[in-house]
Amino acid sequence: MAFLVTSLIFAVVGIIASVFTRICFNQGPSTNLLHFTLVITATVCCWLMWAIVYIAQMKPLIVPILSEVE
Amino acid sequence: MAETRGGGGGGCCPPMDLMRSEPMQLVQVIVPMESAHLTVSYLGDLGLVQFKDLNSEKSPFQRTYAAQIKRCGEMARKIRFFKDQMSKAGVSPKLILDKDVDIDLDDVESKLGELEAELVEINANNDKLQRSYNELVEYKLVLEKAGEFFASAHRSATAQQSEIESQQVGEDVLETPLLQEEKSVDSTKQVKLGFLTGLVPREKSMVFERILFRATRGNIFIRQSVIEESVVDPNSGEKAEKNVFVVFYSGERAKSKILKICEAFGANRYPFSEELGRQAQMMTTVSGRLAELKTTISAGLDHRKILLETIGDKFEQWNLKVRKEKAIYHTLNMLSLDVTKKCLVGEGWSPLFAAPEIQEALQRAAVDSNSQVGSIFQVLRTKEMPPTFFRTNKFTTAFQEIVDAYGVAKYQEANPTVFTIVTFPFLFAVMFGDWGHGICLLLATMYLILREKTLSSQKLGDIMEMAFGGRYVILMMSLFSIYTGLIYNEFFSIPYPLFAPSAYECRDASCSEATTIGLIKTRDTYPFGVDPVWHGTRSELPFLNSLKMKMSILLGVAQMNLGIIMSFLNAKFFKSAVNVWFQFVPQMIFLNCLFGYLSVLIIIKWCTGSQADLYHVMIYMFLSPMDDLGENQLFPNQKTVQLTFLFLALVSVPWMLLPKPFILKKQHEARHQGQSYAQLDETDESLQVETNGGSHGHEEEFEFSEIFVHQLIHTIEFVLGAVSNTASYLRLWALSLAHSELSSVFYEKVLLMALGFNNIFILIVGLLVFIFATVGVLLVMETLSAFLHALRLHWVEYQNKFYEGDGYKFAPFTFTLVGNEDE
Repeated sequence: MAFLVTSLIFAVVGIIASVFTRICFNQGPSTNLLHFTLVITATVCCWLMWAIVYIAQMKPLIVPILSEVE
Repeated sequence: MAETRGGGGGGCCPPMDLMRSEPMQLVQVIVPMESAHLTVSYLGDLGLVQFKDLNSEKSPFQRTYAAQIKRCGEMARKIRFFKDQMSKAGVSPKLILDKDVDIDLDDVESKLGELEAELVEINANNDKLQRSYNELVEYKLVLEKAGEFFASAHRSATAQQSEIESQQVGEDVLETPLLQEEKSVDSTKQVKLGFLTGLVPREKSMVFERILFRATRGNIFIRQSVIEESVVDPNSGEKAEKNVFVVFYSGERAKSKILKICEAFGANRYPFSEELGRQAQMMTTVSGRLAELKTTISAGLDHRKILLETIGDKFEQWNLKVRKEKAIYHTLNMLSLDVTKKCLVGEGWSPLFAAPEIQEALQRAAVDSNSQVGSIFQVLRTKEMPPTFFRTNKFTTAFQEIVDAYGVAKYQEANPTVFTIVTFPFLFAVMFGDWGHGICLLLATMYLILREKTLSSQKLGDIMEMAFGGRYVILMMSLFSIYTGLIYNEFFSIPYPLFAPSAYECRDASCSEATTIGLIKTRDTYPFGVDPVWHGTRSELPFLNSLKMKMSILLGVAQMNLGIIMSFLNAKFFKSAVNVWFQFVPQMIFLNCLFGYLSVLIIIKWCTGSQADLYHVMIYMFLSPMDDLGENQLFPNQKTVQLTFLFLALVSVPWMLLPKPFILKKQHEARHQGQSYAQLDETDESLQVETNGGSHGHEEEFEFSEIFVHQLIHTIEFVLGAVSNTASYLRLWALSLAHSELSSVFYEKVLLMALGFNNIFILIVGLLVFIFATVGVLLVMETLSAFLHALRLHWVEYQNKFYEGDGYKFAPFTFTLVGNEDE
């Protein structure tokens, strides 16, 4: 559940960022897809990394064993 | 083929800047002679045409404008001379404020000639004056020192005189006092003694004395006196240590020998008279002349300085103008002279979008040069491969250069830069992940970016130049590092529960088993990143290693799939169905049936929390695929799925190897059906066709064995590479582990230890060591290391899936480069 919610947040942030770049960087030809591609790629990379780390901790096989406190 | 490729990205999506090279065309320009110079000048201002050298067979002296280039060379030499003189005198040239002042080349030439003559004359005069000055200084020293000899000898002589007054010695006593010191005067032998005074360099003085002694068989007397401060030698102009010497000799032969020896040793001689009165007179004369010369010399130097400053005002302008003219004439030499039509023909590559601008520049040049005829601009058809041109802005230039360093993209193939702009900093950040260090990098690069304008006009050192050029790359790297630092939960290796409390707790209230069996997960998974409880635990490394290795594999498979998809985009663009069905499809199947499957298994294992051993699963999938999986089963029907994937992977290998060469052969035969009979006619015609029409023979040849071997190599590379490239991505894990270990060592062993001593002095020392170690090792060395490895991952593992990179870069004729080069 939390996974889906956060993934949704990533998607929303990505969409807002691409809209933002479309507004700000409209100097080139209007069908210039470069900025859009960059934003989407960045969003996908960031989401991928977060998702991997999150899923890896959902059902852990190793638990933290504290070291001896001196 | 050169100009009809503007077909867009295979028609699937709107065009993207930077994805493919700008469409280029070969243009031909015919300009009348009188407007040629202006035309080339305006085209140079435009900077969008790369001229082809049409006179490549001619030597530099046979070309049309060789004389003009010689002229420019002369002027450049004079300018270099001025620059030399200015830097020696410490005058710096004024920077150009207005670039549009138009100056005539002939004007510049005559001015340069005048100024050079004047400067050379002033220099020669100054040298002469300086020389006389130095000689006079030496003379003065000789007068002083030798005067001292004679004076002291005189004093002792008068002292002795009073003693031996009764001895009735010869009348020459007072005039030859020095002799009295050494030996008793023989009244019968009244020898006429001569003496010479001068200066000799100190290192040669002993040898000088000895040689004089030997040459005159010991019949001379020499006295030397050291001069404390070093004297400027008039001949060489350098400071040297010298001694004043006085040599007494008898006889003409001795005198000539001594003169020759003095010359050989470079000892300057000066006249000296014995009488005290004349000595004093010479002294005052010399001092007077010295003062005069000093003022003259300083006046001369001032004059020279003023002259140099005048030159300095106009220097940059002239420099630029001469360079520009030289470049223009070099370019004009590349155009071929069409003698019958009294005009020059030029060919060059230019982007499609520049055509109207070029035509406008041609028109303007024709108007400005008052020529009767306008220039002609036409497009040529050719089979040559055009240069590759990407229109980059200050942000994308650095990334494009990184990709170009490996190989310039072939004309119109997909540009890896598009995705590299994001994936390169991202992979760097995966290896660097620490948000404290990321913030430091960000501050450093923000300084470079905010002072962009001032720094770009300065001349920076080599390393600073590279760092400044890559400032946007470093900006992206630092932003992603902050993100991955938050995910790895490391701030200078310290974790913080920033988003929620840790998910782990003790099993019971007493926490008795915390150090043996460990904690358990009671709350929800830590929502963003690695749980902060892990740092410092005994099982931290096994957990993080497993996490990071699997993450590297997942990221690697994702990037390699992206690479194969780029090859699909290329195939669609170049409309090569054979590449789609017999290269892209089997490659995708092979990679994903093996490593895509592994990635899926990783995700399933994580999601279900199964204890299956993935090494075991993968290895036995190959070794004994029919075996039962037992406790390594992750999902139902896994055995069937594995068998299917194994079969598909095995089938895809001959699928990518065999069909393509045969299909290419059939395509080639279909293209050249019925043309084999026309060979004779064609060879006759081709002699009359212009030789710059392009390479005719190359693409028509088809060697089947070559194609087959090429495909074999490609297949083997891909199949074996699939395993090795996937393993290569494990460097993401390795470097990130190294970074976090180093960072934690510096923190624990330096800072915490320093804090433990409770001594302010040790604390300060510890803090300094921590800062230096962090900056030197982590921020500089680790940054470079992670940069290099991320670069390698892009250049090899990503690009070998689709990139050919055997194009050449578009190098237009432009004046912006002219100003920066140092000849």
